[in-house]
Formats: sequence, C-alpha cells, structure tokens
Amino acid sequence: MLERFPYGRAPFWLLLVALCSTLAVFVTQRLDAAKRPDLTFATSAANHLAAYREAAALFEKRRHVRVSVELVHSRALQTRLQNAMLAKTPVPDLVELLFGDIAYFTRGPLSDVGLVDLTERLETEGLKERLVESRLSLWSSRGHTFALPHDVHPVMLMYRADILESLGIDPNTIETWDDFVALRSKVVKDLDGDGVIDRYLIDLPIGEAWGPEILLLQRGVTLFDAQGRVTMNQPATIDTIDWYVHQVEGKERIATQAGWGQSLMKAMKDGLALFFIAPDWRTHAIELEAPNVRGLFRLMPLPAWKRGGRRTSTWGGSGLAITKATKDENLAWDFAKLLYFDRDELGRRYRATKILPPLKDSWTLPEFAEPSDFFRGQRIGEAYAALAPDVPEDWSTPYKTRAEDRLGGVVLRAVEHFRTHGDAGLRELIAKDLAEKTAEVEALVNRNVLAKE
Amino acid sequence: MKQRGLAPYVFIAPYLVVMLLFTLYPLLNAGVLAFQQTNGPASRAFVGFDNFRFLLSDPTFYQALWNTTIFAACSVLIQLPLSMGLALLLNSGKGWARGLLRLVLFSPNLVGQIFVGVLFSVLFTARYGLVNRFLQALFGWGLEKQWLQDPSLVMPAIVITALWLYVGFNMIYFLAALQGVDKTLEEAARVDGASRFQVFWHVTLPSMRHVVVFVVVTSLIGSYQLFELPLALLSASNGRGPDNAGLTVITYLYDVGFVTGDLGLGSAVGWVLALIIFTLSMLQIRVSGVAEE
Repeated sequence: MLERFPYGRAPFWLLLVALCSTLAVFVTQRLDAAKRPDLTFATSAANHLAAYREAAALFEKRRHVRVSVELVHSRALQTRLQNAMLAKTPVPDLVELLFGDIAYFTRGPLSDVGLVDLTERLETEGLKERLVESRLSLWSSRGHTFALPHDVHPVMLMYRADILESLGIDPNTIETWDDFVALRSKVVKDLDGDGVIDRYLIDLPIGEAWGPEILLLQRGVTLFDAQGRVTMNQPATIDTIDWYVHQVEGKERIATQAGWGQSLMKAMKDGLALFFIAPDWRTHAIELEAPNVRGLFRLMPLPAWKRGGRRTSTWGGSGLAITKATKDENLAWDFAKLLYFDRDELGRRYRATKILPPLKDSWTLPEFAEPSDFFRGQRIGEAYAALAPDVPEDWSTPYKTRAEDRLGGVVLRAVEHFRTHGDAGLRELIAKDLAEKTAEVEALVNRNVLAKE
Repeated sequence: MKQRGLAPYVFIAPYLVVMLLFTLYPLLNAGVLAFQQTNGPASRAFVGFDNFRFLLSDPTFYQALWNTTIFAACSVLIQLPLSMGLALLLNSGKGWARGLLRLVLFSPNLVGQIFVGVLFSVLFTARYGLVNRFLQALFGWGLEKQWLQDPSLVMPAIVITALWLYVGFNMIYFLAALQGVDKTLEEAARVDGASRFQVFWHVTLPSMRHVVVFVVVTSLIGSYQLFELPLALLSASNGRGPDNAGLTVITYLYDVGFVTGDLGLGSAVGWVLALIIFTLSMLQIRVSGVAEE
C-alpha cells in the first residue's frame, strides 16, 4: 500500500497521522457526549471541593441524576467561562465565582447577562429573608441578583494572646482605634537593641489597597454605589487615608507589612506584629498553613471608629451562579439550594472550611459553637456569627480593580509625602489626588455605552 | 499529472486552514473590534475612534507604556552588554568549564518566567527574603526594603529578575556569533597594534552585526510583550504592582480586555503596541544598516 501511494512515504505517513487523530478526536467527543452528566458544577475553591462532592453524591441518590463537580483555578475559571460564553461553546450549569469576577458577566445590558436572574426565586421561596441581606449586594446588578452568596466573611482581629498576656494588655478594653493606637508605647519595640524595630502592633499593607478598603468599608464607605457610580471621593475617605498614613509611616507608626505566604506565617510566629486582620477564610488558611502558631492566637472584633460603632468589616467572597446555558434550570436551582440552604450541609461544610455561611438560621447549629483548639478554645464560629449581621454592603463592578489600584496609589503618595514633608499639606494632597483618581475611574465607567439602559 | 498538481495544496491545506482560522481571522477581527465597544460576552457597539481617543487620554496607559519602555531600555542597555561580556569570557575559555558555565548561565531559561517570578517574589521578601538578608549582612542596610511594595523598587526588581532569566539566553546567540567570526581578521588587527578593545569594537562587533541586530530587535519585541514575569512576581496585585509601578502594556491590555471586559479597547491597545514595536524594529534595522546589505 505504501509503495502504491503516489506522493511518496512522508506524505503517506502525514496523511495517516492526520486521519487517525481526526478519528480519535471524533470518537472521544462522541464518548464524552454519551457520558455527559445532567449537571456540571465548576468551583475554584479547593477547600470546598470534598464537601461539594459529598453533597453531589447525596443529590444524585435523591434525584437519580448524574452531577459532576469540577475544580478549576479561579483565574482559569473566569477566563474559560468568559471565552466559552463568547464562543458559545458548552459552559457548566453552575459556577462558583469569586467576588469581583461576576461583574464581568453583568457588565452589559441585563438581557445579555449569561447568568440566570435569581431575584424572583429568592423572593417567592422566602429565601431572601433567611440570608444576611448585605451579602446580596455583591452579587446584584441594577436590582437583579445573579448569584447566591456563599459566605459573609466578617472581619475580626487575630491577636497573639500569649504576648498580650505577658505585656498585661487586656484586648477586651480595646473598643476604638484610638484605644488601639494608644497601645503603641507598650508594644512597638526594638527588642535586641540593633536599631531595627522587632515588634509592631499590626500588619497593614502600604502598596495594596485591601488595608484601607477594609477600614473604609467599616466606616460604610464603598468605592461604588448600587448603581455603579464612583463614590470613593468622600470626606471619610480622606480622614481614613490620613489616619492610615500615620499608622504605617514615620517614627510613631504602629504597623509593619508582613506580606503573604511564608513571610506572613514567619511574622506571625516571630511576633513581628501582634494583630492581624482576619476574615473567617484567613483563620482557616492560617490553621492549614501555619500549624506552628496553634494555641498562640485568639480573635477579637475590629476596634470601632467611634465608641459603640461597627466592630467589623468584610473582605472577599464567592457566590454560586446558574448559567443560562443549563438544560434544566430547576434541577440546577435545586442543587444550588442543597449546597447553600440545607442546614445539615452548611454545618458539615463549616466544620471543614470554617467559613460562615450567610444563612442566618444555620448559625444555631452545634458546629458553629464548637471551640477551636487552634484559637485557644475560642468559639470562633459564634464570634463571627455575632458580627455577621453588621457586615457592610459592598458592590461589584468591573471597574473595581481600577478603583482599588487608584486608591492604593493615593495612599502610597500620601505615605511618600508624609515621609518627606510630615503633616504639612498632607490632607490637601490626599483630597486633590483622590479627586483626580476618582475622575480617572469615572472616565472609564462613563465609557460603557451598552450598560446605559 | 493533474493529481500531482493538486497534492501540494492538499498537504498544506491543514496549515492554511489553521493559519486562516487562528491567525488571520483573529487579526482581522481585532481590527474590527478596535472600533467597537464590547460589554461582557454578548454586546457590541460601533464607537469609531473612541477606543483610541480614550487610550491616548488615559494616564494609566501612559504609565504602562513608560514602565515597558524603561524595561526595554534596561534590556538593551544592561542585559545585552552583560550577555556580550559573558559570551566574550566564555569564548576565550576552553574545555569542559566553558560547557558547564554555558549550561549554568542558560539554565534559568529551562524553568520559565512563572517559576522565576515566584522564586524571586520569595527572594525579594522584606525582612525574611534572601536578598534583604544579604544586603543587611553585607552593608548593614536593606533588611526592611519592600522590593515589591515600594513603587520605586518594583521596576529594579523586575529588571534584576529578567537579567537572571535572559542574560544567559542572549549570551548563547552572541557566543555562537563569536565563534563564527573570522579569526584571521582579529589576528591581523592585533599584529597591526590594535588593543583588545579596538579589536572587539572595529573587527569582532562589525563581524557579528547581523546577530546583534537580531538580538536587539527580538529583545525589544520581547520587552514590549512582557507579561508573565511581573504577573508572577507581583501576583498579590495581579502583575500591576503598587501604584501600577510594574504595569506593562500587555498587563494593561489584559486588564481592560479580560478584567474590565472591553475587548474593543483591548484590541486598540494591541494595535497601538504592534505599531510601536514595528516602528522601533524598523528604526533599529534602518540605523544598523542591515537592511541595505
């Protein structure tokens, strides 16, 4: 046969390889199609996966269907979903998205959003009242909710209980940020006399916006409002940045930058800072990644800006959306309800992830009252649940990253100014810079001609 | 005969189809997209030159362009002379040591930008990172330097990381070119009393001009396409760095196209970048006189 092929040996083999690979692709696609489950659920949260797979098995048994739970990295999940929606190729029936990622999908006209509008289902089935209402804001656009909130993520302060005890500091006496800053003289020290400070009060970043943003949220300042308008330029923002700059720079500073990963874990172990900002997800991450600080930390509410004021904030979040491409919207909705509204399921998952769900009636489950060995026997589930109703609203827009960058830039320039000029002209600089950066973000937002409905 | 005439077309057809589908069509589509505004996956609207107008008025784009240009300049002015220096050193050496050094210097390229970015993000950690510990031990300074959080240190950190990654890579090109230089010309120059520098400048370098131009042009193109390295090194800020100090044109493109969701604006950035790279490359080729030869 090879000899009879008129174009020679190489073309023959090339042709054969091409034909075989085409056939293989065709056959595997047909086989995959035959094996395709009734529901596909994609998540980027590795720590949710085991619990979700158990729930999927339960759902399969109850409903006699096949459910596939797939783990995809968050960046890949967002990009692949975007591309699949653009190319109109198959997408999962349900996706668990990170806060911020959903804005990409809700950016255009409501009719073009590729996710199912869940507003009516939440209202008619009486589910809305059972949730921490402020969490719906993250997953809503123009009054329509496109995903279910997975979490509340209240923010507390994690502190080195052993060192505080040795210094005679009672964290219960810290009510406000002024009380907190007043601890400086007791805590911030060069312990070995080498001219380098070895112990700070708190870990606060300078180059990243999450620090100031958490404090702004605590004061009720969001970067955008419900209509997607830029709202970061407020007197409270200027006050907060001014305060923040004094804590992270200069001789009287109370903060160091512990960073992330190994550097953060080492700073925690060494006592480089005694307080760390701690949403519930972070406590669990630290439990997994820094077993050597077991029994050293406890949690307390954030100090308030004013006595009697809000003692928490929020940081991050994920939510569950149903794509419009799903073949069976009701089946997907039932599975979503099992994952997010079934009390037993939530109790089991809390035990595995230590993330507080937004379903208020689940907080009375015994799992949330279990003492944590890692945090010196503290009932951290109850502690976070007590703060959860007070968690502030926040809004997701595709321009949030840009706004956060600009806010971070304002803080950096204010820090630089304070380092070289002190207080002289600091507030004026912050106000001017903030106004300029707000205008810059507004210019980007106002370009969006298609969302103007 | 007729059958044979068709055969070549049949065999190049798969390549042509793939090229048309994945190169030419996206290129044309990007041209159309640059004049549209897109909102998320589904909507498009024709906006004329608005994307280009916005781009040319956006301070963040200029910052990205400035950062990328600084990086490109460092690539050409620091990285390539270093590569050349190493190549000259290795070219004068002999035996197994040369091969070993060549492998050692080239090896960072085997692991890729993401790995190197992650590695250096640990090395540059304030207080606990190897770089800061080294500086403190040697100079009694630098322990608390925030390489990746201080805007003034971010670009030096990226350049240092890129040096480690690419110096060895470019060295290989120069080494290969050096080995092709006519030794009799160099010897003749030496006999005529030329110093080592004069021999290099007037004989060696002109002899390897084509390779130098190639390396400079590809380095420039690569620098303007910088994306993965800052993305891994500055992963906490998605590759942008504090106050966008590490933002490159491609990261900006990625942000507007895939984070903000405006593929039209992203396409406009792509075309502007292509124009910049084309102009710089043409300028380089014209100045070096390679095209005339």
